Amino acid sequence: MSEYLLQMTGIDKSFGGVHALDHVNFAIKPGKVMCLAGENGCGKSTLVKIISGVYTRDSGEVMFEGRAIEKITPADATRMGIQVIYQDLSIFPNLTVMENLAINSEITANRKIVNRKRWEQTAREALSKIGYEIDLHKKMGELSVADKQLVAICRALLFNAKLIIMDEPTTALTKKEVDALFKTVRQLRDSGIAIMFISHKTEEIFEISDDVCIMRNGKNVFLGETATLTKKDFTYYMTGREIEDDYFVPTNISKEPVLKVEHLTWRDKFHDVSFELRKGEILGITGLLGSGRTELALSLFGLGKVHSGTITLNGRPVKISSPIEAQRLRIGYVPEDRLTEGLCLRQPIADNIMLSSLKQLTRALGMIRHQELFEKSNEWVKTFSIATDDAHKHASTLSGGNQQKIVLSKWLNNDLDVLILNGPTVGVDIGAKQDIHALVHDLANKGLAVIIISDDLAEVVVNCNRVIVMKDGGIVGEMTGDRITEENILDIIR
Amino acid sequence: MKSKTFEKHSYTFMLLGLMAVVLLFFTALKGGMMWKGDVWLGIAMQFPEYGVVTLGLMFCFICGKMDMSFMALGNFATIMAVMYMGAHADSPAGGVILVGIAIALGIAVVGGLINGLLVAYLDIPPVMATISMQLVWTGLSVALTNGNTVKGLPSLYTDIGHTYLLGFLPVPLLIFLVIFAVAWWLLQHTVYGEKLYMVGTNIKAAEFSAINTRRMVIGTYILCDVICCIGCLIMISTMASAKADYGTSYVMRCILILVLAGVLPDGGMGRIDNVLIAIVTIQIIATGVNMFPNLNTYYASLIWGALLLVVLVMSTRMSSGGFLRLRAKKAAKA
Amino acid sequence: MNKAALKRMTRRTEFYMFIVLILLCVLVQIKSGGKLIAFPGIFTRLNVTVLRTMVVNGMFAMCSLVVMISGGFDLSFPAIAALSYSLTCTICLNNGWCQNSPVVGFLLAAAIGWVLGMLNGWIISNFKLNTMIVTLGTQTLFTGISMGLLALKEITSTLPNGFKTFGKLYILEGVDGKIRFTLSAMVIFLILLCAIVSFILNKTMFGRALYAIGGNEVSAERAGYNVKKVKFLLYSSVGALSGFVGMIRVCMESQSIPKAMVGREMTIIPAVILGGASIFGGEGTVFGTVVAVAIISLVSNSMLLLGIDTYWQQFFNGLVILVGVTVSALQAKRQKQ
Repeated sequence: MSEYLLQMTGIDKSFGGVHALDHVNFAIKPGKVMCLAGENGCGKSTLVKIISGVYTRDSGEVMFEGRAIEKITPADATRMGIQVIYQDLSIFPNLTVMENLAINSEITANRKIVNRKRWEQTAREALSKIGYEIDLHKKMGELSVADKQLVAICRALLFNAKLIIMDEPTTALTKKEVDALFKTVRQLRDSGIAIMFISHKTEEIFEISDDVCIMRNGKNVFLGETATLTKKDFTYYMTGREIEDDYFVPTNISKEPVLKVEHLTWRDKFHDVSFELRKGEILGITGLLGSGRTELALSLFGLGKVHSGTITLNGRPVKISSPIEAQRLRIGYVPEDRLTEGLCLRQPIADNIMLSSLKQLTRALGMIRHQELFEKSNEWVKTFSIATDDAHKHASTLSGGNQQKIVLSKWLNNDLDVLILNGPTVGVDIGAKQDIHALVHDLANKGLAVIIISDDLAEVVVNCNRVIVMKDGGIVGEMTGDRITEENILDIIR
Repeated sequence: MKSKTFEKHSYTFMLLGLMAVVLLFFTALKGGMMWKGDVWLGIAMQFPEYGVVTLGLMFCFICGKMDMSFMALGNFATIMAVMYMGAHADSPAGGVILVGIAIALGIAVVGGLINGLLVAYLDIPPVMATISMQLVWTGLSVALTNGNTVKGLPSLYTDIGHTYLLGFLPVPLLIFLVIFAVAWWLLQHTVYGEKLYMVGTNIKAAEFSAINTRRMVIGTYILCDVICCIGCLIMISTMASAKADYGTSYVMRCILILVLAGVLPDGGMGRIDNVLIAIVTIQIIATGVNMFPNLNTYYASLIWGALLLVVLVMSTRMSSGGFLRLRAKKAAKA
Repeated sequence: MNKAALKRMTRRTEFYMFIVLILLCVLVQIKSGGKLIAFPGIFTRLNVTVLRTMVVNGMFAMCSLVVMISGGFDLSFPAIAALSYSLTCTICLNNGWCQNSPVVGFLLAAAIGWVLGMLNGWIISNFKLNTMIVTLGTQTLFTGISMGLLALKEITSTLPNGFKTFGKLYILEGVDGKIRFTLSAMVIFLILLCAIVSFILNKTMFGRALYAIGGNEVSAERAGYNVKKVKFLLYSSVGALSGFVGMIRVCMESQSIPKAMVGREMTIIPAVILGGASIFGGEGTVFGTVVAVAIISLVSNSMLLLGIDTYWQQFFNGLVILVGVTVSALQAKRQKQ
């Protein structure tokens, strides 16, 4: 019997002509936490889908508990004790916690009739596995993301799981919730379950994992103990190049603030927030999920509420009641969720780029200048080197980084005083990330006032000359220049 | 490049192919009868009524909304108009007709406004809001007319529906063509059309791009209901009366035509030229069925339903490229 | 019952609809001078009429409800019903069947409905298309078949005796002044159907599958449900049920009119939505639906007693639904915040 629970060697998988997995080796021991790391599109999810039986491998060997496995179907995977907790958690928001916990095992047991008593028993048994308590009759949709996640974990444990795969489980969690989750993960690990943890956050990986597997372009470039890695090695393996951090050096800061926020409050979201922003500055606003950072940005863009406090723009007090008003006041906002808030995916790239500046293209009788729309957007495609041969193609044909460039150019096409970027490089690959950072530096030094909202501390440290830290809806710290370090920010946040 | 154009317009080609198959089918069964001038004059006379209504609903669909209330609203509006015209039968017909039309269109504006407010401000799902409004408008019509037909239209007005200009151009067709031209211009050449497709595709992204989405939704409902009301005004002219339940089958027929044309209610999809092809195809089927003395009109319904299902199943096999709109082609030329 | 459960209950649409129904009953009872509920006999001409209107509407509402719970939207059930009963009656008439017992007719109608429902099920489960559009297509197709291809005729006085006598079964007869009133035995079918649907929805894995698919189809698939099979089964059984309900209607009316069902979906679906079902799927109960149907039947049957002209009936129906829909939408909006 081998010491490994699951051992995969030389796994190959192609889709059409694309080699998604190229001789990938992977192995995980029971009672260990293994992190699977890599940039978007490196083949992580393909590997997971092969393990869980959704895809069939083209070639390669799989050993589970020392036995060679020929073909895996999703049902086989469940029987073998492999459970995947997807990013969306696969829950039913309209059903109760009890039903969510019990339904899977009831289906697997091929039952036809519902027995509430047995369901409740199953649910209690599931919860007891990690000693978690919650009202069984609550609707799943009313739970917080963290609670939903714990329910999903409990459900997975009902199947005598030997390997639990968690796909980016920390994305929507606050720091406290992440800590609680990690506690549960360690508890599971100590009981002998192997955990495969998919993440791209460096700190988390170093905090939780025993082993790590790093993938790049469909190959695994590192497989071994986390302790043997330095953070620098890690970044190198992830991206394939040494990252030279190009720190932002402000050269053109105005004397007068362009934006002044005083005692701004949106009840239950944030309170008494005051700060100033000058032209040529890049101000970082950071904080954990739920700290009020996004809500603050929404209020500055006319989509949030302001219960009290004032906003002063260029010395004049203003009321920002809608994005239209914000645009008139020369404020732009690049939203957090690119796919739902930033882009019309089924429409051409060109139309997406010009969406917020259609006024410029209007001629008599409300007619639109098609030619100009196309030419202008083509200019942006060139300036930003957006990877497309034709701006008439749909925005959905582009990668995350290129899509983000569309959203950015949409706002840069307007004359702006203030540009707010919320999570500007989430889900963006490293090359595009550097492009975007360089561009923002350039814009700031040309006199634009920029706010970057991000929970990626490295991004904030490198790109901002001033940082505000938010916690529980209030500002808890501000730092400038050399005082901005990840350690200093972490000290305040925790 | 050639194959690209084909791909972009594959849906149009498919619809044209369908139309050709339908024509061939009826030609094969009925020979030259299908190609008589009278038959085509009949087609030109009949489709404008619901063709206009379909064009109105098209705006709603592109905006990603649904309207179930337009026929009920149109019937109510025209009932009010006919009641007015009937009550002022002794005044000069021209003025009375103009006021009557203004009343009908005014009511359509109010109806569209209510739909828009319910959907844009109260966030009621469009299907639910407009089904309820449909019941309300029909209820009002029935209450005011006791469910009876309302007559008393000036003969000048009823002539509109039966007149051929220059002996071959039916007035309803002329109205349809004018509205088609305006709708085409709105969709292809104005900022409104540009915004409409974007709002229909992703209303939240449009809002985040400083577009007044609520105004767009309300405006689109008003536009939709006004155009639909014009369709109803044509209808009462051919019927010479108004009634609470005239043309209720048009609701489903219009949705069927739009879906056939690839204008799906999901929003942001479809092209107006495909809608025209679909309207004409549907009418050819109806007219073709009418040429068989032993078949009743419901045969057309049978063919429509089958056609829709076949096209739906076929479209799942095609790339989404088929739903590209006309404008993409225009800009590519430039 | 603990506090949390009570709180959960007060948050449901059904709860409010039930209160509205009770208030409405009280209002009608007072306004009409005790004509709604008699003491001690309970049954009166009015409430018997209300129950009678509820039978067919309520049973059709069940068809619509189960589809809506699964996240679908069925426009075709009236067309299926119309085709099934007209064809059944024609066949029975031509062969001289069902002169004594209506059973063969009911089985035949359900079988025809089942086959038609299978077409819905096949297209929807195999091609993952918008259910509303697919059923719009099948609705048009089925109407075309019944009135075009088969050209089924209205059958009134020649309707097989078995259906006529079956429809005239009463479980109760009473006298209001000089007018005789009767409670149709068909009410039993409504009660039975509600019980069965309620049992299926709450007590079987198939029923829970409908809620699960309506809540999150991808999750349901991952959880191990055969979503394709469930949907096929759902639409084919709804087809069979529609055929059956159509026959009940034929018996109660003593006539088979192919056109009578046109546009029925537009009055049934709003009622189901009023009863708390969500057009996005995953929500809805038998109780809520029955309450909503009861409210609408009560409103339309007690207009005169409330001093309102009967021609205003449709308008008030629409108003009730508009208000109900608006309130539940506002409630959902508030809960989101």
